[in-house]
Amino acid sequence: MGFPHSPHERETLVLSKYFGDKDAIGLEGWRKRGGYVALEKALKMTPAEIVGIVKESGLRGRGGAGFPTGVKWSFMKPGDGKPHYLCCNADESEPGTFKDREIMRWTPHALVEGCAIGAYAIGAEVAYIYIRGEYTEALEKMNAACKEAYAAGILGTNAMGTGKTVHVYVHKGAGAYICGEETALMNSLEGRRGNPRIKPPFPAVAGLFGQPTTINNVETLVAVPHILVNGAEWYKKFGRPDNPKSTGTKLFSVCGNIQKPGNYEVTLGFPFKDFLYDLCGGPLPGRQFRAIIPGGISVPIQTREEAENSPMDYEGFVANGTMLGSGGVIVIDDAQNLVKQIARAARFFAHESCAQCTQCREGTAWTTKILERIVAGDGTHEDLETLLEIGENMTGKTICVLSDSCATPVASGLQKFRGDFEALIKKKKVHMVPAAVA
Amino acid sequence: MSAAHNEMGEMHAPAHASHSGHGHAGEEVYVKVFTGTRKAELDELLTRYPTKMAALLPALWIVQEERGWVSSEGMAEVAELLDLTPAYVKGVVSFYTMYHQHPVGQHFIQVCTTSPCNVCGAEDVVNALLKHTGCEELGVTSPDGKYTVIEVECLGACGFNTPLMVNEKFIESVTPASVPALLASLG
Amino acid sequence: MADVKMVNLTIEGRPVSVPDGTSILEAAKAAGVLVPHYCYHPGLPVAGVCRMCLVEVEKAPKLAPSCATSVAEGQVVHVHSPKALEARKGVLEMLLINHPLDCPICDQAGECELQDYTYQEGRAEGRYRDPKRFNPVEDFGGDVVYVANRCILCTRCVRFMDDVAHDPVLSVAERGDRALIGKFEGQDLTHAWAGNVIDLCPVGALLSKDSLNKARAWELDRSASVCPNCSQGCNMIVETRDNQVMRLRPRPNEQVNKYFMCDHGRLNYRWMNRKDRVEVPLVRQAGVLATADWDVALRAAAGVLAGKRAFVLASPNLSNEALFLLGRLVRNTGGAGAFRVPQGDEAPLPGVEDLALRTDRAANGRGAEMMGFARSDAPLSGLQSGDVLVVADEELAELDAADAAKAGALIVIGTTLPAWARHAANVVLPIANFTEEEGTFTNLRGRVQRFLQAKAAPGIARPSFFVLGDLLSAMGDGSGYWTAGQTFDAMAASMPAFAGLTYDGLGLRGAMTAGAMAEVGA
Repeated sequence: MGFPHSPHERETLVLSKYFGDKDAIGLEGWRKRGGYVALEKALKMTPAEIVGIVKESGLRGRGGAGFPTGVKWSFMKPGDGKPHYLCCNADESEPGTFKDREIMRWTPHALVEGCAIGAYAIGAEVAYIYIRGEYTEALEKMNAACKEAYAAGILGTNAMGTGKTVHVYVHKGAGAYICGEETALMNSLEGRRGNPRIKPPFPAVAGLFGQPTTINNVETLVAVPHILVNGAEWYKKFGRPDNPKSTGTKLFSVCGNIQKPGNYEVTLGFPFKDFLYDLCGGPLPGRQFRAIIPGGISVPIQTREEAENSPMDYEGFVANGTMLGSGGVIVIDDAQNLVKQIARAARFFAHESCAQCTQCREGTAWTTKILERIVAGDGTHEDLETLLEIGENMTGKTICVLSDSCATPVASGLQKFRGDFEALIKKKKVHMVPAAVA
Repeated sequence: MSAAHNEMGEMHAPAHASHSGHGHAGEEVYVKVFTGTRKAELDELLTRYPTKMAALLPALWIVQEERGWVSSEGMAEVAELLDLTPAYVKGVVSFYTMYHQHPVGQHFIQVCTTSPCNVCGAEDVVNALLKHTGCEELGVTSPDGKYTVIEVECLGACGFNTPLMVNEKFIESVTPASVPALLASLG
Repeated sequence: MADVKMVNLTIEGRPVSVPDGTSILEAAKAAGVLVPHYCYHPGLPVAGVCRMCLVEVEKAPKLAPSCATSVAEGQVVHVHSPKALEARKGVLEMLLINHPLDCPICDQAGECELQDYTYQEGRAEGRYRDPKRFNPVEDFGGDVVYVANRCILCTRCVRFMDDVAHDPVLSVAERGDRALIGKFEGQDLTHAWAGNVIDLCPVGALLSKDSLNKARAWELDRSASVCPNCSQGCNMIVETRDNQVMRLRPRPNEQVNKYFMCDHGRLNYRWMNRKDRVEVPLVRQAGVLATADWDVALRAAAGVLAGKRAFVLASPNLSNEALFLLGRLVRNTGGAGAFRVPQGDEAPLPGVEDLALRTDRAANGRGAEMMGFARSDAPLSGLQSGDVLVVADEELAELDAADAAKAGALIVIGTTLPAWARHAANVVLPIANFTEEEGTFTNLRGRVQRFLQAKAAPGIARPSFFVLGDLLSAMGDGSGYWTAGQTFDAMAASMPAFAGLTYDGLGLRGAMTAGAMAEVGA
């Protein structure tokens, strides 16, 4: 629902139905709302049956990459004699994205249930929920929910009286965007610096503690109980009839220069224009949308016209030159200095680079320095070419995609709003003294 | 030797003499964090993971909860408990921005200024905070020792701009106008 | 080896066949193509972080880090394609933006991989126009100083201390472009093998305090050698400038020391430059030691030995060749030989099997034993009254002078003349030290390894095998060995322990003696 606003009639409330409902937070209230029915059902099924239904539903990862969840689960080989692990990625850090936060604040038991089902489905006895350290309220709610679930016998060595072992532990992060990258998350959980790992080996082969591991986003896991209760067919019907690849409902976080920021749940394929103007109330009085970043700050920037043509699903955004990403919609209007905002985005990545790969460590900081210099009125036309070339060197050459993510808003910004950069350069205040570099 | 040097020497001699070889004047003896309930808490945490190292982040959180920051001695204590080296622990501590490697003000205020909040005026909130706390500059503790204000990267509450954290407390929708009342509520 | 699956691929147009699991980078080496790299080192776990070794693999969507990518059958790899070159040029530019470009005052200049690859593949001019990051120089303890501004964060040092030395006192601290190598206060690089981080560092970030500012890399002459400072026999390079040993560095040998060398071995070189050397032969005439030419001195020595039993006190740092000839002297005169080995604490490098700074602080104790010398802490105990005591490069400082006094006469064959011997020696024959001659040592596991001459001997001092060969000739055992090789081959022919070995055949990696092979079950 358009939390914190009241639900809009064109929303489809599945995951966000109880946002703002204080009574849904505790175990008793959650049970009254249908909680743990899916887990009870799941524990009576075989893991393969669960994987089959999730595969059939078409559910795709809601963290950003959009990989089919059931397929990911099927990589976990049952009976290989190794401990398996499920990691729930609750390190929501992609600027513009704040949906998992609301899920954990208002429906913590939904996530406990999703984790328990996911763990059982992949043959894991332990699931860790890695929550970013800044989400203090979510941490508090999730810890309380786990405690309640253990006390009620839902979790533990005899989960719901079935004799099966399901542990769900909350692990608190400590301030690092990169820990939302799945291999960095595993390193962080192991007590290391949050450095992404080289793949292969993939997590399903050697992940957390070197064992087969699956990492799923919060929103992905909370969708699973609904799919188990209502069936794959029910889930599949949410979506554009002409695009069977994107099914289900999706939470979009909306922020920036817009009337009603918040979290909205719509079926995939929803028209982006209607979403922005109808659900979210359109631009602020006297202003116009100028640029829109639909999937968190790592995805290419769209012009208003491009955005207004996009259906809101994985394929729809790609067709319009960007990505669905994490579903964090950032709206920037015509009152903003766009170059300054791109510079701020670059600074974010420079701050968050783990420092492993040369191009990322140096390139994110260099990009930021050039952009901030342009904003300060000390830019040159050569700087723009340099930015593009640095961006090229930062793309597709590093262990993870943080480096690419920094280059993306710069390259797409320069491509679509070059005039903004050139205007700042023309107003150039002082001449730089060229540094003595060889 | 000049008179000044002599004076310095005489001034320092008694101070050193009063200490039994442990550290310099004014240095406090380190009291361990992991005793009693805190040790029990760590022991319980260790049961959740197949390795001791995995309890590192939680253990550091315990140190910070107890002491307000993670000192070198704190790192060394954690290292010993988890069979790690202090250098390793330092590498981890310095990777994560939420662990304080230095003491901070009583109210450590982190304001999100990343793009989504930035376009909604987060910098004005920062300026209002710097003014009303008396900090003047980012990262500088106010003269009364009560406040430290820093910018933080995306707090993940972009629809509730501007969000900030005061120590472990998360506060949403702060505006320049609401800053004085907010500070008053902190005490 | 037969069951190892071989993979065939093409690198830069060269077909190459390597075992399955080999990295593209190592396969390229096998094909004779060097892929530029920084973080990769064959003695360390793969990190894959510098991104310098990117190569183009046909049909792959992205450039591949060749250190972290295994070969695949039929792969076609381009190391120097425009795409790969452009990517590496980008990495080099990024590595240099915050680098101080202070090559003229940097010790690494001339042996710096950042310099080399930049000349080879980098941009002629950087485009960075903004302020550079600055961090102060830090003393890491031990022999190591850290110049953070030159650091490229390849993490070789961190991985060495962690995975090889098992003493993780270094870590990467901070993140983003603020990252640097961190050390915990009060915990220094005092591990016995910590100095290796200096060699491992591909740039001028980790430097040796001992050799700081002493010489430019291009002023040094280099010779392959073997460390004499313990019985491990680490392969090393002796670097000299103007006939002075300036620095010792490890020389890779998979069988002995991999890529490493301990700090004791590395830093214990000043004795090789001693100034108090005997430079000319000395003969006692009318109670006074006086200079003599070689013929006179050799005849005098032969005269002293004539009809007497020789008791040879040998240094365990003498070559096999010298010890072999000394052994003949013992046999020819019906005498005896002994040696003692200075002791120290053992200090292993845990990440490498059977590699340690050994308790025996001499190179060739095993060789001395094989030549029939008796090992003893009181080596003069076998000296009989009336024996001619032949002291071969052993300083005797702690020996009982009373034992030495039993000798009828004293011949010193050495690099130096100890104070006590100035009054007692009848003849002094000056020899080269081990950096001034060539020869072989046998290490504790029975591996025979060659060392080469690195500098010139002082005065008219001669190589030990040469002097001893001449002395035997003067005594009528005229075998006439003029080179270390001739001596070694004669030794191999007459001593079953060395059977099958030839001086040339040893190469610069050495070979196990037959007996030693049996010991290790090879």
